[in-house]
Amino acid sequence: MTAFTILGIAIDIIYSWTRMLVALGLSIVFSLAVGIVAARNKKAEAVIIPLLDVFQSIPILGFFPIVILGVIDVVHPEWLGVNVAVILLIFTSMSWNITFGVYEAVRSIPQDYIDLSQISGSSSWQRIVSLYIPSSLSRIAYNTQTSWAVGLFYLVSSEILTLGSKNYQASIGIGVAIYTFYDTGNFTGYIYAIIALIIAVVIWQLIFLREFSLWSEKYKFVEEPRGETKDPLMRVYSWVNHRSISKLFLIAHGSGVSRFTSSITRFKRGFKYAFFILIVLFVGFELGAFLLSPSPRSLPSLATILSYECCSSQSVLVALAVSFLRIWYVYFICVLVAVPLGIVIALHSKLYDTASPLLEVVASIPAPVLLPLFVADVTKNGEAIAAMIIFLGMIWYIIFNVMAGIRSLPAELWELRKGFQVSTYNAWRNIYLPASAAAFVTGSITAIGAAWNTLIIAEYFNLHLNGSSKLLTQVQIGIGKTISIAVQSNPANLTVLTLSILSMTALIVAFNLTVWRRVYHYTTKRFTYNR
Amino acid sequence: MATAADKIGSTSEPVISVEHVSLDFRKEKEDLPVLVDVSMQALRNEFVTVTGPSGCGKSTLLRIIGGLGKATSGVVKFRGTPITKPTSEVAMIFQNFVLLPWKTALENVLFGLSSRSDMNEQQKKEASVSALESTGLKGFENVYPGELSGGMKQRVGIARALALQPQVLLMDEPFSSLDDLTAEHLRREIYSLLINPSSPIQSVIMVSHNVEEIVELSDKSVVLSARPAHVVDIVQNDLPRPRNKKAPEFFDKVDKIYSLLA
Repeated sequence: MTAFTILGIAIDIIYSWTRMLVALGLSIVFSLAVGIVAARNKKAEAVIIPLLDVFQSIPILGFFPIVILGVIDVVHPEWLGVNVAVILLIFTSMSWNITFGVYEAVRSIPQDYIDLSQISGSSSWQRIVSLYIPSSLSRIAYNTQTSWAVGLFYLVSSEILTLGSKNYQASIGIGVAIYTFYDTGNFTGYIYAIIALIIAVVIWQLIFLREFSLWSEKYKFVEEPRGETKDPLMRVYSWVNHRSISKLFLIAHGSGVSRFTSSITRFKRGFKYAFFILIVLFVGFELGAFLLSPSPRSLPSLATILSYECCSSQSVLVALAVSFLRIWYVYFICVLVAVPLGIVIALHSKLYDTASPLLEVVASIPAPVLLPLFVADVTKNGEAIAAMIIFLGMIWYIIFNVMAGIRSLPAELWELRKGFQVSTYNAWRNIYLPASAAAFVTGSITAIGAAWNTLIIAEYFNLHLNGSSKLLTQVQIGIGKTISIAVQSNPANLTVLTLSILSMTALIVAFNLTVWRRVYHYTTKRFTYNR
Repeated sequence: MATAADKIGSTSEPVISVEHVSLDFRKEKEDLPVLVDVSMQALRNEFVTVTGPSGCGKSTLLRIIGGLGKATSGVVKFRGTPITKPTSEVAMIFQNFVLLPWKTALENVLFGLSSRSDMNEQQKKEASVSALESTGLKGFENVYPGELSGGMKQRVGIARALALQPQVLLMDEPFSSLDDLTAEHLRREIYSLLINPSSPIQSVIMVSHNVEEIVELSDKSVVLSARPAHVVDIVQNDLPRPRNKKAPEFFDKVDKIYSLLA
C-alpha cells in the first residue's frame, strides 16, 4: 500500500469505520443490558455504577498492549485477534458513556409509565422492549455523538499501536495508511489520507450521527431544555458532562458539604489527601514489586526507586511522577491559551459562527496522526514533541467547555454589563471568568484524563514497519515510555507493564476521588449562574 | 410623603420623554414593525407603567429608554438630551434579578458601581451599605444570593440600582418572578421607597402585565396594543395613596385598563 490511490484510502476508511461500527453496536447492546439492569435493580446498581466510574477514569490506552497480547494468544487466526483487540479497545472508549446515558434515561422514566406497565400486566421482556429501550434512545443517540468522537481517537491510536510489532498489524485501516505513507516518504499520500479522514468524519456526522439523533428525538418524554446543545458542535463536546464525571462519582458525595466552607480548608484537605495518596501508592508499589519480582524476592529501597534507570520496575514510580508533572505543566499552558480563546470566541457571535465549525474539524483530527509533522530531531526535541501531542490531546476539552459555559449564560447578564456600564476588565474578572469556571473545571478533568491516554504515544513511539523500525519520538523518562518499552521488549516485560498500569490507574482514580471531586463540587456550587 | 396633588402641580419639563419612537426588526430582508410611533412622558415624581399584550414590545421599549437598544426612528430624551447609551442617571432593575451568584449581596451592589470613577472605594462602599439598608437588607451584606429568597434577591437588585443614585429607575416586570405573597409585600413598600423627598429618583418607569399591580402603583399607565405596538391610551391614575385595593374606584381603573387591553 505504498502507492496512494483514492480507492486504497477509501478501502482503509471502510475498514476503520467497520471496526468503529462493530464497537458501537457492541457498546449499545452492552449499554442497554447493563444500564437497564443498573437502573431497575438496586443491588446491581450498587455494584455497577461505582465500577463504571472507575472504568471511565482509567487510561484505557495503557491497557491496550496487555489486551492485544492476551487476545492474540486466545483468538486465532492472528488477523482476527488483532481486529478483536482493536474493536475491544474502541468499545471500552465508547461504552461507559452510553451506559450512563441509558441508566439515567431509564431512571428518569416518569413513575406513571412504570405503574401503567405494571397495572397492564406486561412481562419484563415487554416492558424492556416497549418502555425501557424506546425511552433510552434519545440519550443513546446523544451520547453516541460524543462516543464516536472519542472512539476515533482510540481507533487511530490502536491501529497505530498494532504497528508496534510487525506480526500484529491491523493491516488495513486509515491509521495504518497514514503511517505507512509517512514511513515510505510519501508525504502527498500522508496529507491526502489525513484530509480523507477529516472528510469522512464530517460526512459521517452529517449523514449518520445527525440523522440518528433527529430520529431519536421523537422518543423523548419531554423536551429537555438543553440550550447550547442544539448546536451540533456542543452536542459533540458536551459529552464530557456525561463521560468523565459521572453524577455519583463526583457530585453525590459532597452534597452535605456546606458551600461556604472556605476554599482554604478545602485545599488543605486536598493536600492531606494528596499525601495520603502518595503513601498508599508507595506501599502498594512496594508490595507489587515484591510479589512480581523474580526470586529471591526483595523490597525495592527508596534509593533504587529514585535512581532512575529506564525502564525497570524500580523506575516506575519516578516515571509516574515525571509524567504527572509533564501533564500538569502542559495543562497550564493549555489553560493560558484555551480559556481566553474560548471566552473571546464565545463572546462574539459572528466569530463563534465561523470559528466553531473550524475548531470542530481541527479537533476531530486524532492527535497521533499528526506526530510525523513534528518529528525533526528526536533526541533533542522529544520533550517538546510530547508536550505538543499532550497539548493537542487536551486543549479541545477546555476550549469547548469554556465556550459552552459562556454561550449558555442568559442574555440578561449582557444587559447587566451594558446597563451598569461595566468595563471590559471588570466584566472579565467578575462575569466571564467566574461564569465559565464550572465548565472549565469539567473540561479540565476530562482534559487531564485524555492526557494520560496520550502519554502512551506522546512519550515514546517506535514505528515498526516492514521489518525496519523508526524512532519517532521519545522522552527521557515517563510512564508512557515505560509502558511502551515494556510491551515492545521481546518477550514483553509483564512485571513492569502490570506495575506501571496499576500504579497509574491507582494515582488517577485516587486523584479523581479526592482532589478533582472537591474542586468540581466547589466550583459548580459556587460558580454556576442560576437565578 | 408627597401627595398626588403635589405631583400634578409640578409641571416642569419631563424627566423622560419618548418621542415618536419606532422600531423595525429586520428579518430576511423584511422589516417587521415592532414599535410604531410610540410617544410618552415621565414627569417629575411620576410612577409610570407600561403595559400591553405579551410579546408586544414593552420590554423592548424599556430597553430603548435605558439606552440598551436603538430605535429605528424617533428619540428618547433625558431632561432634553437624547439617550444613546446607558448612563448612570438611568438605572435598571431586572425581572430575574441578575445577581452574580459568586458575589455577596454587598459585592453585587458594589459591582453596579464599578463604572463610577467619580467615587472612591470608601464612598462606593458607604453608598452600597446604605442602599442595602434602605431596601431592608441590613445584616445581609455578606450573604450570597443563593442563600437569599426571591424577594430578598430582588431587594439586592433594587439596592444595586439605588446605589447609583439615579434620577430615573426602569423596572422590567420586577415582581413577576416572585411568589404572590412576596410580590405583594415588596409592592407595598416600593412606592414610598422610590419616590420620597430624600430619594434622588424623580421618575420610575415600570413594565408590567399585572393590571392590579399597575393600578396599585402607577400615576400614569401607558397601554400598548398587540404587535406592532402603538399607544392605545394613557390612563391617569389619581387615586389617593396608599391605595385601597377593595375600593370601587380601584376596580373602575382595573376595568378600564382591561378593556383597553382587550
